[in-house]
Amino acid sequence: MNTKNKILHLIMVMASLAGFGSCMDGEWDAPDMSTPPYGNNYLTEGTLTTIAELKTKYAGEIADRGFKEITEDLQLRVVVTGNDMGGNLYKQIAIQDETSSMIVGINATGLYPYLAVGQELLINLKGICVGGYGKQAQLGTEYNGSIGRMDDAVWQQHVRLVGTPDMAKVDTLDFNADWNMEAYSGALVKLTDVTIEGADGKAVLAPEDGSVALTSNCANRNIKGLSKSNVVLRTSTYSKFANLVIPTGKVDIYGIATRFNNTWQILMRTEGDLHIK
Amino acid sequence: MRRKLQFVAVLLTAAPVCQAQQPNTDPLKAMKEDNASFTLTESQLGEDDDMTQNVIMVNSNNNVYTSNVGYLFSPMRFKFRAYNSRYNDIYFNGVSVNNAENGQFNYSTIGGMNDATRGVESTMPFESNRFSMPGLGGSNNYDFRASHYAAGSKFTLSGCNRNYVARGMFTHATGLMKNGWAFMGTVGYRWGKEGFVEGTFYNSLGYFLSAQKVFNDKHSLSFTTWGNPSERSQQGASTDEAYWLANNRYYNPYWGYQNGKKRNSRVVNNYEPSALITWDYQMNDKAKLTTSLLGRYVMYSSTKLNYNNAGNPAPDYWKNFPSYQYNVWDPTDPDNTEAALAGWWNSYNTWTASKANRQINFDKLYFANSQLNAQGADAAYYIQAKHNDHLMINLASTLNLDINKNSKLQAGLQLGTNKGMHYQTMEDMMGARYYHNINTYALGTYSANDPRVQYDLNRPNAAVGEGDRFGYDYNLYVDKLSLWTQYTYDEGPTHSFVAAKIGGSQMWRKGNMRNGLAALNSYGNSDKAYFLDGGFKAGSSISLGRGNSITLGVGIEARAPQATTAFVAPEINNDFVSNLTCEYLTSFELGYALNSQWVRANLTGYYTQLRDGTEWQNYYFDDVNSFTYVSLSGVEKEYYGVELGLQFKLTSNFSINLIGSMNEAKYTDNTNVSYMLSTEGYSESDLCYNKGMRESGTPLTTASVGLNYRIKGWYLNLNGNYYDRIYLSYSPSMRFHKPLTVSGSIDNEGNLIIPDQAEGDGGFMLDASIGKQFSVGRNKKISVNLSLSNLLNNTSLVSGGYEQSRSNYTVNNDGTLNNVRTYKFSKNPKKYYAQGFNGMLNINYRF
Repeated sequence: MNTKNKILHLIMVMASLAGFGSCMDGEWDAPDMSTPPYGNNYLTEGTLTTIAELKTKYAGEIADRGFKEITEDLQLRVVVTGNDMGGNLYKQIAIQDETSSMIVGINATGLYPYLAVGQELLINLKGICVGGYGKQAQLGTEYNGSIGRMDDAVWQQHVRLVGTPDMAKVDTLDFNADWNMEAYSGALVKLTDVTIEGADGKAVLAPEDGSVALTSNCANRNIKGLSKSNVVLRTSTYSKFANLVIPTGKVDIYGIATRFNNTWQILMRTEGDLHIK
Repeated sequence: MRRKLQFVAVLLTAAPVCQAQQPNTDPLKAMKEDNASFTLTESQLGEDDDMTQNVIMVNSNNNVYTSNVGYLFSPMRFKFRAYNSRYNDIYFNGVSVNNAENGQFNYSTIGGMNDATRGVESTMPFESNRFSMPGLGGSNNYDFRASHYAAGSKFTLSGCNRNYVARGMFTHATGLMKNGWAFMGTVGYRWGKEGFVEGTFYNSLGYFLSAQKVFNDKHSLSFTTWGNPSERSQQGASTDEAYWLANNRYYNPYWGYQNGKKRNSRVVNNYEPSALITWDYQMNDKAKLTTSLLGRYVMYSSTKLNYNNAGNPAPDYWKNFPSYQYNVWDPTDPDNTEAALAGWWNSYNTWTASKANRQINFDKLYFANSQLNAQGADAAYYIQAKHNDHLMINLASTLNLDINKNSKLQAGLQLGTNKGMHYQTMEDMMGARYYHNINTYALGTYSANDPRVQYDLNRPNAAVGEGDRFGYDYNLYVDKLSLWTQYTYDEGPTHSFVAAKIGGSQMWRKGNMRNGLAALNSYGNSDKAYFLDGGFKAGSSISLGRGNSITLGVGIEARAPQATTAFVAPEINNDFVSNLTCEYLTSFELGYALNSQWVRANLTGYYTQLRDGTEWQNYYFDDVNSFTYVSLSGVEKEYYGVELGLQFKLTSNFSINLIGSMNEAKYTDNTNVSYMLSTEGYSESDLCYNKGMRESGTPLTTASVGLNYRIKGWYLNLNGNYYDRIYLSYSPSMRFHKPLTVSGSIDNEGNLIIPDQAEGDGGFMLDASIGKQFSVGRNKKISVNLSLSNLLNNTSLVSGGYEQSRSNYTVNNDGTLNNVRTYKFSKNPKKYYAQGFNGMLNINYRF
């Protein structure tokens, strides 16, 4: 082979090797999502109970800020009404069925992407606990002698995602401060034509500057315009809207109406839950 | 005419290497270096520009120690004298090719071109050369002139179980032909669907073409172009707990399953097409001028799985570990309840139940994003890529003068301009429809309608799609000019040199986004920073007779700071680090050498002091609940140690090498630190108690015994290597004054308790190689060699890693201690373990 041919040969080898050098990472097809990769898909519907029945059955534990492990083969079929998208609900979601509402404590962050509002869930109650945190009914596991958040691994074993999120399944109740707290605590509510105390055009919902006393990194702002004065808007300093300037006029507020003993604590889920009139 | 051409051929072949190392003809050495170039230039630690680890290819035929350590200790990422590789100056045909921003040379730029890069003149820190003032960490000048490659062809095939599994290379060189032309070309391809570490792949093509025209006995022009389009995926360091749970010290958290297929979240794409023109002008018998112009366009990107307002999807995220649930370091911890123990078991069972549980679950991430589409929300998970692209143009001219038979003078200039383009792109939205260019870290600190949450106020709330830039986008510009000279002279038994250089540089930033946290100080050009730097070196070797000689050297140098460390937070604004100055280096070296018929010995002691250094890192800092940009200024360090190399030629075909070094490389004083919060854009100052912290990612103590045996064309080599004192990269924030005080790290006498730097285990590694060369016809040879590393499969050797820059505690909003975490970051450094038993079979055919 003469030199000219060798150079030609080299170029041919290079060209052929260049052909080999195609991209290995390449384009990735979206996975098949017909079966949710979250939760326990082996969970099948068995004996259903309701949130109201659960609240009644464990009313003592809930009222005493205690807890009890559920040992029966019982399940709940519920819809997610609140999640941690805005960082105000932290390591918990709110659920409802036709009868009532409650909170589920899960020791994990970033729940909202797969626990969207409107997502239907089948929850196997056997092996997890029900109890009261400040008398707020909650599912979870024991933590230091009271109801706490369950491990994500436990949660994934006890939940199955049913269908796709459907907002039509979500009921928003018009809040009434005279409600029976046991029955309605944990509900998704709407407060109409109320004002938030402390609004001066500058104050923000949850400042860290000491201008508002914080409990567990949350600021409670009294809500006015209701029949009772035991209603606060509770906002975490870690929420995405902590530094939102409080509107000075009347507003509509959507949120989860939780109770802490005898106080209604309204938890907005996202900034979009505040509607300025 | 024919005689003229012959003369030119001889001249061109001889001149550039009269002081240089000869290209390797020793098959054993060639094999070793081939192996070394594999481990050094193709390891993921050395070729990624975002890793703290880097390598130095130091070599010298005059020194038993340095001629061996480069390849011998490469499996442990050994760094010569623990120096940062930016102190190792690399040249191609005399023109500097170190990265203008970080000073380092990326060896992957010549990966897979082993046959093209054998002609290299390597000199030690105090050895004279013909192309520069020698660098603190040595200098290498690669000769890319086509006429300097031996005529012939070579085909190489390799198989191995390292980062790749197969390699093919073809090389052809014409030598200098009668018409005055010479051509050389080499092409190599390296491939591995899965390397030694699970979930990693390798896909790299390298090409190199050189043409040279020798016009006459005075002028020659050479043109060379090369490139290496490469794609490879990475291995992530993890904690010993992860390695224990996975029962595998090569557990790689960067990959996961998608549709049942393995996908790596960290993929590096790199292509650096380069062109080099060299004009050699032999002015007369005593003067030669070499001028080279280099152009290079670097395209480098590195992907990463990121998340937005969601849980960290890394499988080895600290909250996923059993020790997050239960304090395994203190069984008496009152938080170690039955529930905590149950949590430990839940986590343990999850980790150990299946491999998929301890890798990324891409299916989940896609599912989450699809749910968010329905809500009209931004992607929670996505693959982003950071790009570090460069356009580099460098010019060098070097004059070599033989003043008389005893003295020579070199002088030259280096001129360079570099435009670095740094930006982040959306690579894969993983099924999501929406994403916006918002600083979600600042969201919360500021409300959604606050301009400070905008990454680019010029295009607020911009929708981001695949391929779009987001987060940051800026250019760094660096211009450099350097003049140098060197004078060498021989007198009696002494060979001495003095060298000096002086230069200037300017650098500035140009922001292509107007960041909301620095609306008036992020878009457009920054001020320019100017630096005057230079240095002086002198060295001498004195023959004492009977093969004994001593060498000594001294050097001082002022080096302009690196552009990569010069800015407070280049991703955000135009601010330079305050008190930005040159760093000052003072170095000494004293050596003894013995060269006799049966023994060669080198004993060298060195000392280097660094003052006014500037360092820069970025990471999440718990105490301020923010990602931070951390600048350390006024850094003071010392490097000193002794190096020993002994080679005994016991018979004509059997020799023993003894190699060892004891190095120290540490901060000699505490350092002022300033850190800027990415969530709020302001900086805080503190003092970092880093005095005594060591350089990391390299064994500071090494020892090696090598046996070399040749018989009837066979060559065998057995090396037992010992490594110790391997430090991991320290976390500055763990040693800031304020966190130490807040966390109560104070003894009974009121003194702060500074955490010891984390270390990795050293140990023993046995390597062997065997090879033979066969003649299969006239001028045709086949070489076969087999290199086996870590024969005893010692998998407990740590090759590097870093302390986690997070805290064992949380703080309240007012900065006071809130609570102590169950998980102990300080006891869980992330480590890389040296590869276990691995091998490479190499066959080449020369014709």
